[in-house]
Amino acid sequence: MKKTRILTSWRYPGNWPFFRFDDRLLLILMAAIVGNFSGLASVALNRSLVMMSEWLHHFRHDWWVFVLPAVGAALSSLFLEKVVKEGAGHGVPEVIYSVSRYGGLLRFRSSFSRLISSCLTIGSGGSAGPEAPVVISGAAIGSNIAKYFSLNDRQRVTLVGCGAAGAISSIFNAPIAGMVFAIEVIVGEWKSVNIVPIAIASVAGTEISRILQGNQIPFSHHLFNIDLLNIFASIGLAVLSAAAAILLTRMLRSMHTVSHKVSAPIWIRAAMGGCAVGVIGLFLPVVLGEGYHTVKILIEGEYGQVLAVVALASFAKIAATALTLGWGGSGGIFAPCLVIGSLIGVTYHHLLSLLWPSVSWVNEGYYALLGMAGLISGMLQAPLTGIFLIIEITGGWEVILPLIMVSAVTTTLCHYFEPASYYLKDLVEHGHLLRPGTDARVLSDLNVTELIEKDCIIVNQSMLLRDFITIIKKSHRNYFPVEDDQTGNFLGIIHLDDIRPYLFDPVMYDAVFLGQIMNTQVEVVHPDDDLLDVVRKMDMKGLFSMPVVINNRFLGLISKATILDQYRKELMVQTTH
Amino acid sequence: MENRLLHIFRNNPFGRETLLQSIYFCNKVGAFPVIYIPETTKFLMYFENDVVQVDLDKSYLTSPETALKRATELVEQGGLKARFLDPKHYTASTLPDIQTNFDYMCCPRSISDMSSKIGLGYIGPRVRRIVKSARFPVLITSPVYKEWKSIAVFFGGSVNAVKALRLGFHVARASGMQLDVFTQTENLSKEDYQQIIKDRNLEKEMELYVNRWHFFENRVFEENLYDVPHDALVILGAYGHGVIRNFVFGSMMEKIQSTISNNLLIAGPNYTTLR
Amino acid sequence: MKLTIHEVAQCLRLPVSTVERWIRQGRIPIQKAENGYLFNESTLEKWAAMYKLPFSIPEKVNTVPQQAKMENLLPSMKRGGLLYDIKGGDVETVLKNAVENIHYLSTTIKEILYTNLLEREQLTSTGIGKGVAIPHPHDPLEDMIKNSIISTCFLEKPIDFNAVDGQPVFVMFILLSPSTKIHLHLLSRLSFCIRENAFVEFLKTTPDSTAFFSNIVDFENRLKKGEHH
Repeated sequence: MKKTRILTSWRYPGNWPFFRFDDRLLLILMAAIVGNFSGLASVALNRSLVMMSEWLHHFRHDWWVFVLPAVGAALSSLFLEKVVKEGAGHGVPEVIYSVSRYGGLLRFRSSFSRLISSCLTIGSGGSAGPEAPVVISGAAIGSNIAKYFSLNDRQRVTLVGCGAAGAISSIFNAPIAGMVFAIEVIVGEWKSVNIVPIAIASVAGTEISRILQGNQIPFSHHLFNIDLLNIFASIGLAVLSAAAAILLTRMLRSMHTVSHKVSAPIWIRAAMGGCAVGVIGLFLPVVLGEGYHTVKILIEGEYGQVLAVVALASFAKIAATALTLGWGGSGGIFAPCLVIGSLIGVTYHHLLSLLWPSVSWVNEGYYALLGMAGLISGMLQAPLTGIFLIIEITGGWEVILPLIMVSAVTTTLCHYFEPASYYLKDLVEHGHLLRPGTDARVLSDLNVTELIEKDCIIVNQSMLLRDFITIIKKSHRNYFPVEDDQTGNFLGIIHLDDIRPYLFDPVMYDAVFLGQIMNTQVEVVHPDDDLLDVVRKMDMKGLFSMPVVINNRFLGLISKATILDQYRKELMVQTTH
Repeated sequence: MENRLLHIFRNNPFGRETLLQSIYFCNKVGAFPVIYIPETTKFLMYFENDVVQVDLDKSYLTSPETALKRATELVEQGGLKARFLDPKHYTASTLPDIQTNFDYMCCPRSISDMSSKIGLGYIGPRVRRIVKSARFPVLITSPVYKEWKSIAVFFGGSVNAVKALRLGFHVARASGMQLDVFTQTENLSKEDYQQIIKDRNLEKEMELYVNRWHFFENRVFEENLYDVPHDALVILGAYGHGVIRNFVFGSMMEKIQSTISNNLLIAGPNYTTLR
Repeated sequence: MKLTIHEVAQCLRLPVSTVERWIRQGRIPIQKAENGYLFNESTLEKWAAMYKLPFSIPEKVNTVPQQAKMENLLPSMKRGGLLYDIKGGDVETVLKNAVENIHYLSTTIKEILYTNLLEREQLTSTGIGKGVAIPHPHDPLEDMIKNSIISTCFLEKPIDFNAVDGQPVFVMFILLSPSTKIHLHLLSRLSFCIRENAFVEFLKTTPDSTAFFSNIVDFENRLKKGEHH
């Protein structure tokens, strides 16, 4: 027979002999490529946002300026629906869904569509962040590069993480935060086989950003002198941030529900949300856009407003974000969390100063920093990301102790009220969050067709007990499926226990047809059923075997014993390394 | 009767013709149709290495109230039991995931374009992507329902062509219909093609199933296509020996689909004969 | 050595569809070839060891069920032969006389056989009714004989065997097998014969070897037909 040619062209690097067994080097190479591209994408978005805000700045003082966010949101929505036909998913959850279920397969159009749509939403003043769009673009870039090189699921998931890491690192000039975010939120698995390529991608993304935009820390700050009292006071801030995070989540959800009740096309709804934001923005311009500028001011302690105003601004920003995103605008919640967090921090500081004016509280900038960490940790329920992000974007290493405390406490508090983070909530509800090495994941990977056992002897309903006994002698199992002798349809099952009482009664041998003793009320399994449901059914009814039937034909049995065997093998392959 | 065919139902006269083709095909090869009545114009199909977003032409969503009834009627008239697909997972609220573990799929030449665009020479980009990524062969139907009475396999000697040939044997065995093989002798001689068959251990099947092996010596391929019976099911591989594999099928495939309007059963590069 | 996907699935004791899925998910080291997948045996062994998965070439043993390989009654009966007019008035004597006459066995084995047969009779009588007895050693004499033997011994006169139905025994089938499995198999077939009254009546006529063996052949054919129902 002709020797089958192994594909070794440059399109199939997974096949090169060097990489076949251990593909770490290959992944590192790929990660560098992916990191560069996703870094470019986020730089592109950043630049466009800056350009747009400069251009629109001229109109800031016209009377009709409150319509701008509406127009932007409507355009962005139209773009997504009609031009790109994306059928807006929610960005990061879509990436996690694909990583859980389909090995990170993402559509090519997602690499650029969200960049454009979020540019429209945010640039016009919508209260959203550019991070989630950039994450999904980076992830899609990683996924499609993996597809181009015909990499397998595991490698593709790593590259999706690389794309996300590169994007975040680039947009914040924060490589560690990018890495931690990708691993904590997207991939969900802290294995060295993931960490190394993702780290490389973060570096690549950051480098691109530094080359093209210069190397500056986004938000510098004054040094703080922190004493024990202030550290304790941070705990109170944690509580307040948790409250804010929960409020934001609930408002987002209710806005989403309300907007779906309004029967108008999507882009009109987006426009309505945008309009409302515009109106708020007229009075409190701090709520518009992604708000990095505002954050800068707040951290430097130069906001200079009184408690009431700051508190109002916090609520307003929460509302504006909920309106923008809940009503169909395109963007992420990272940046709004930063803004809300810093506003909350400053509010807290003013509150403290009000209650205990004699104590020398640290500058409000300090509390702004902590507030940001709190909100990020609370909303994403990713404390490590929160900690590292804040440290890297502010260079504030001296605040690491209270930072850790606030992140940890906020995450825990939020977890009580909202067990799943903003990104993961929908996924968990529908059972789509499948982290590797978990029971849910193993059960969803295995499918019924792999577990079918086909060594049952089939009988038909007109057979006599006497003939059946000859069959029992030959069989290896306790279950006998019964088929109709004319149509071949599955009629029922006979279990050995059912006929045991009659086995030794020769009088019955010629008097009983199998059709009389078979069990027709038997639970069947369809090959497309979710294994999780099958196992649950088995547990509930106390069954150890069930017949698999399709189109009224009996295919085989599925039994708990085989499930155990396969489950173990699957788990071993998924975890050990 | 365990093989399943995916059919996306278009609730209009054109869609009726396509469904009738599916039903006839199923009856002949021993499969049963699983029909998806689209609820939205978009859905995703996740394959092994690609995710294809299918944007259906709006005509697919015509009068959804009657769709179920009409489809059931047609299927039952064909003597089969109607089964419908309910998507279990959704990537987004308007984006259902349609599973891809079918044995066949049936669709017209284009599913994203209006029926007016569907004619010779055109195979829509979505359909092309599905053929490229799918593990099942795709039945591309002619616009009008016609019962095919024989099978014609185009064999060019490449790996894909061998797959198509195997598929042809399978269909011939299941349907009991006459099978003819057609080869355009391009750079190789007749003996070379026969050697390829020998190398792949297919001589026995050739003996068993093939009625006649036609060799086209005439240079101009399109002219030879007249020899293909008008009521044959044409089976072929999507790619030949060429390198460009993105939106262009093999040159022979393109010529065939532009010249004849028979039903085409195409075996893509990922088609596996593990049945 | 290169393996195909089917061979790999067999080595791992998994269905092919699972192996395909693992390839797609990147859990198994493979090479994508034009026409499918190729696996390198040593790479796979290393991989399996790392994940503690069982990986072994399945034995190319013929998996014909044991049942079919086991002999039926005829060969064993031919080996054991037919003995007529065994003298004796009680169990020990007839057994001794019968065993003495089994030409197939060596003297040593005859001694051991006789002792074992007696021991077995002490436990319970092997007279199973209708005048038939089936003496046999309690444990199979594994190392001493290779093939099973059934000696059909017609007694000179019927003697009291303490049979289950109290009837005197006129024929003994001495059953000797190298393993318990074969013993049970032969015993089962023998009991089928004995259940038929026609057969017992036939035995009472003390048939000669030709008639006897042809009867056995008939019987076995009938049994075979019944099994294939």
